[in-house]
Amino acid sequence: MQTTILALSFFLMAVIAWAFISAARAAGSGSVATNTESRRKWLIVGLAVVGVVVTALSLRPWPLAVAATSAVVNVSGAQWYWEIDKDKVPLGQPVAFNIHTIDVNHGFGVMDESGRLLFQVQAMPGYVNQVEYTFNTPGAYHVVCLEFCGVGHHDMATDFTVASK
Amino acid sequence: MTAIVEARGAAAIAPQAGAVKLTMLLAGAVILLMMIFGLTMRAAQGGLIELDPTLFYQIMTAHGAGMVGAAGLTGATILWYFTGRYVELLAGVYWAFLGLFLLGVVLILGATFIGGYAGAWTFLFPLPAISGGLWTPGAAIVFLLGYVSIGVGFLLLHLEVGRKLIAAYGGIGGALAWPVAFGNGRPEDAAPPAVVAAMASTIFNTLGIVVGAAVLVASIVNLAFPAFTVDALLAKNMIFFFGHVFINASIYMAVIAVYEIVPEYTGKPWKTTRMFAIAWTVVLLFVLAVYPHHLMQDWAMPGWAVVMGQVVSYFSAIPLIAVTAFSLLVYLRGAKSMRWDLASALLVLGVAGWTAGSVPAVLDGMIVVNKVMHNTQWVPGHFHTYLLLGEVAMAFGFMAWLGRRGDDSLSGLPGASFWTYAAGGTGFVAMFLISGAMSIPRRWAVHLPQWHLQAQIASAFAALIILAAAAFVLRYVVRLGKS
Ligand code: HEM
Ligand SMILES: [Cu+2]
Ligand SMILES: [Cu+2]
Repeated sequence: MQTTILALSFFLMAVIAWAFISAARAAGSGSVATNTESRRKWLIVGLAVVGVVVTALSLRPWPLAVAATSAVVNVSGAQWYWEIDKDKVPLGQPVAFNIHTIDVNHGFGVMDESGRLLFQVQAMPGYVNQVEYTFNTPGAYHVVCLEFCGVGHHDMATDFTVASK
Repeated sequence: MTAIVEARGAAAIAPQAGAVKLTMLLAGAVILLMMIFGLTMRAAQGGLIELDPTLFYQIMTAHGAGMVGAAGLTGATILWYFTGRYVELLAGVYWAFLGLFLLGVVLILGATFIGGYAGAWTFLFPLPAISGGLWTPGAAIVFLLGYVSIGVGFLLLHLEVGRKLIAAYGGIGGALAWPVAFGNGRPEDAAPPAVVAAMASTIFNTLGIVVGAAVLVASIVNLAFPAFTVDALLAKNMIFFFGHVFINASIYMAVIAVYEIVPEYTGKPWKTTRMFAIAWTVVLLFVLAVYPHHLMQDWAMPGWAVVMGQVVSYFSAIPLIAVTAFSLLVYLRGAKSMRWDLASALLVLGVAGWTAGSVPAVLDGMIVVNKVMHNTQWVPGHFHTYLLLGEVAMAFGFMAWLGRRGDDSLSGLPGASFWTYAAGGTGFVAMFLISGAMSIPRRWAVHLPQWHLQAQIASAFAALIILAAAAFVLRYVVRLGKS
């Protein structure tokens, strides 16, 4: 996911840069473009259509859904440590994380062994936020803090294990 | 009205040029200092220098507040300067604005480096009050009072601008060119582009600052009387509404410099068209509605709000790409002549950087992407693109224009500094984006050894940016000294 987004981003940014550079080079030539307004209209229509399609596709299934599940993990964040009520998390089934904080906002972020971020959710005073994830690989997972919470923010890390069946 | 239209012909009007030139000098100095802070942070993340995390987060707080402040200051100054071509503005209001701004800067720097406040520029409730023993509630209060001071100054400035525009253009609708947008008014009679942009950004920035003031006051009361608390989700909504609107307003105000200055280089006026007028009204609504894209990982947010955040994020790019950027491209190609110097090059770079930065921002505004990119360095990646290569490029362009001479060109030192800035900036933001895609969190004082290389390369690019920016500011100082 991240690599695709990066590649797409760089590609579109390069297209924009190219459009500016070529217009800047052509500036002052007084070239009379005739169909500018119709091109603009197509650009708007095109962007709008892409927008509607991408929006629909990206919201189904609802990305923030949390189903009722037997595997529930309670997580509590505090300056500057995490407490997780299970150190073994089941494999191959949806796991619901309930995220609390006892002081300020924190961000519960989970990375795989290679350090790739898999998902995250905020921890917020007075609220219990939920997030669901299905682990398909057993092994160690790394928890980091992804909301600035003071001077120990970068040290607020822990691990848990996804057990093989 | 005719008097106003005639005044437009006399583009030589330079309202409070002295105050404006002084402001841009101060802003240039602040930006340079904050860039050095930025390099310090990036070098620390790359393991090139040893920086105590406490100091890192103080610097991060100062850099965030200082840069956002400088963007707002330069944007508002551009707005003031060019609005003054169309309506007569009270000079005293500008001096009050500047004075309150400087007072705010002193309070913020004092709170940070003397008081030790390091709760970040976003003062996310309840962090200012729960520092883990690092700073006192007093330091946090001083920091927030600094914001209040700056906010009051902005409100004064916007009230003066808004009231004069409303009087001169027959109401808010007139100043937003609604007769052309939604009626059968003739474009020739419409409010000029600078006025439309000034009116729209005045409206949304005022609303943003009012909400910001409310959450600031609530936070200050909470610091003074801890028994008084605020709902954390409500506070988060208010803070991000304010932060989003304020930073966007700075860009939308700065683009006025493009509308007003680039025509001097082409001899071709920039006109209000139907499309232009519609786009600005759409922008006005979108800027106010888009902020929930900051709250996609706050599960307690209503689903409709985050969907709105995603949808409006995407559709906000349409007026930017299809109207602002597209029109500039068509305009440049169609111009019979064009002269490139530091000012015109930086202004065009500013629109390019702003547009390019919208790409990673819009992608991050999708819930599925946000799940793995939020609060990674992807985020500083996109906002440095539209600020460093966008708003700040336009501000430096305005500065260069203030110190212009008739025979300026883009050869020699100005050209070298321009390309250094553009190349350094591109490399610098690319490293943030790559780091974000590698899941490196943002706002971490200490980076793992396997992340050092990206930060080291970024530091080299940052050094280039600083060299170029120093050249821009020095040239400006020399030009001011000679005039
Ligand atoms: C030489 C130029 C610059 C350098 C080297 C630099 C560097 C940095 C670094 C290292 C961070 C922290 C990244 C992290 O979260 O890990 C940062 C954050 C930030 N920068 Fe810059 N920056 C520069 C220019 C700018 C400009 C021009 C602006 C805006 C006008 C800006 C606005 C910000 C803001 C708002 C933050 C967020 C602070 C926070 O997370 O609390 N920066 N910058
Ligand atoms: Cu944290
Ligand atoms: Cu935003």
